[in-house]
Amino acid sequence: MAQETATRLSTSGRDSLSALRSEQKYPVIRRFMQNRLAVAGLVVIVLFYAAAFLEPVITTYPYDELLPGMRNTEPSTDHVMGTDRSGRDVYSRLIKGGQVSLAAGFAAVLIVMTIGVTLGAAAGFFGGIVDSIIMRFTDILLSIPLILLLITAASLFQPSLRTTIFVIGVSSWPGAARLIRGQFLQLKGQEFVTAARSIGASPYRIMLRHIFPNSLAIIIVEATLWLSYAILLEASLSYLGLGVQIPTPSWGNMLQDGQRSLLFGAWWLTLFPGLAIFLTVLAFNLMGDGLRDALDPRHRTRAS
Amino acid sequence: MGNGISAYMVRRFLFLIPLLIGLSMVMFTLIHLAPGDPALAMMSPAAASNPQYLEQTRENLGLNEPLPVQYLTWLGNLLTGDFGTAYTFNNKPVLDLIGERFWGTVQLQGISLFLGILIAFPVGILSATRQYSAVDNGVTIGSFVGLAIPNFWLALLLQVWLGVQLGWLPVISTGQANKPWSERWQYFVLPVIVLTLPNIAYFARFMRSSMLEVIRQDFMTTARSKGLGPRAVLYRHGLRNAMIPMITVIGLQMPRILGGAVIIEQIFAWPGLGLLAFDAIGRRDYPVILALTMLTGAAVMVVNVLVDFVYVLVDPRVSVTGGSASS
Repeated sequence: MAQETATRLSTSGRDSLSALRSEQKYPVIRRFMQNRLAVAGLVVIVLFYAAAFLEPVITTYPYDELLPGMRNTEPSTDHVMGTDRSGRDVYSRLIKGGQVSLAAGFAAVLIVMTIGVTLGAAAGFFGGIVDSIIMRFTDILLSIPLILLLITAASLFQPSLRTTIFVIGVSSWPGAARLIRGQFLQLKGQEFVTAARSIGASPYRIMLRHIFPNSLAIIIVEATLWLSYAILLEASLSYLGLGVQIPTPSWGNMLQDGQRSLLFGAWWLTLFPGLAIFLTVLAFNLMGDGLRDALDPRHRTRAS
Repeated sequence: MGNGISAYMVRRFLFLIPLLIGLSMVMFTLIHLAPGDPALAMMSPAAASNPQYLEQTRENLGLNEPLPVQYLTWLGNLLTGDFGTAYTFNNKPVLDLIGERFWGTVQLQGISLFLGILIAFPVGILSATRQYSAVDNGVTIGSFVGLAIPNFWLALLLQVWLGVQLGWLPVISTGQANKPWSERWQYFVLPVIVLTLPNIAYFARFMRSSMLEVIRQDFMTTARSKGLGPRAVLYRHGLRNAMIPMITVIGLQMPRILGGAVIIEQIFAWPGLGLLAFDAIGRRDYPVILALTMLTGAAVMVVNVLVDFVYVLVDPRVSVTGGSASS
């Protein structure tokens, strides 16, 4: 193994650190690419995010333009996915809603991970009273069913995209914090930490430059899986009317709006937004699972 | 073993008390922060236009007291078993209200949980024993799909397809409690399908991975080399060990029975605790919200301790001082 590394160091022509890094990165990427489902998930996500970014270019009508003569029309060449009961083009709203839902999920996960990693790391690393306080608080929040917590938190504000992101972020961090804490606890006991401490590294330095990079893998996997959940949560909140408000489309509130017309046979109002949510959540789950397998091959035979 | 465990259990249960108090404080503060006046929500618009009446009602409910005083009053009542009276919902005592809705939710969630486990077990085991086969791949993909489908979407689709277009099943459940069971079962079908699907997906995945881990262990090969047939090995040795983490997983899902299905209950107009919670939060009905949160919170905490307890009992490798899932 050492000989292999030496050969690569000499033939690569790069400095030793980057050579070591690339030797470690390649197997991960290779393992990930071998997982066809995970790659499919990645492709779908890239497509959806690309669509969200290209929204001004690929939509056919403004998402809030009402076309009074065209209420609840079936899909046609003009309106690829039909129109809703206010006469708005479903396809354009779907893409715009994708922008909204995907951005909301992403932002919410940023909040969840920031709070979760900070508190989880503090709890895991410092232990003692800090750990007890943080963990008790986490336990309390985790004992409330998430949907109830979300609805309660949402009732504190006038619902909008911003408050929805905030609500999801602030309600969901306990799960992430727990996980990160476990990671830090585990890594704290490892040799490299003892070594760092023995040469006098300060606690913050140990946390930041030693433990944190080693937890990065788990954090990324968790973030991916949480993204899928966050999108589902935003859709649920918007469906209940507590999230993004009409006329701003979100996949969730499109389902709520289309519900009334469903009994009259307007299937396109329910099928497309729901399909969008489903595919996005599925893709993130597949990708997250694939990442997890690629980063830790010991799990490969048991995970699904 | 006896002494250590009982002391541990007592300690764990005692620890719950500060947790529950903490929960009550968090929820109390949270809902009082919400804008909106419960006194206003209680009344008809005509009554509300009378400012003196409004003020009087707020006085009567104690809403003008400083927050800590309100909290202590509520807590004091709680400790004597008085959960208060609902602000809206016809001034019913909260316990009665919860009692009415309790069975509705528990029935639905309980059946879904039970069916989920029932179907997931053989599916997971089958998938594990035939790893990488068509069956296994199908199960894997199926479980991903099952967990990714938004449940309210599925509910709407099933409602429209099976309920309206085919007319096979009733769509919403108003009045179902009064019908005889021969008719009543129909109302259960759609919500149970929607709730059971993710359960099957979740438990099957767990069963599969748990089973796979057990199969790889040395003691399985040892059992085979003793001369035991493959099926006996599987059931006598493999299954028992695979069950251990499953018990934890199932146990942790149990508290969901009480609170989880807010959206489904709304879609099917199912009179349960989820719908109650949703309505109560919207109406700022503090006594109801607090009571529901305390009950679900207590249930979750107690079940967590019990699950740890069962785990220690069932797995002789885990010791009381060493391994516990929380803290």
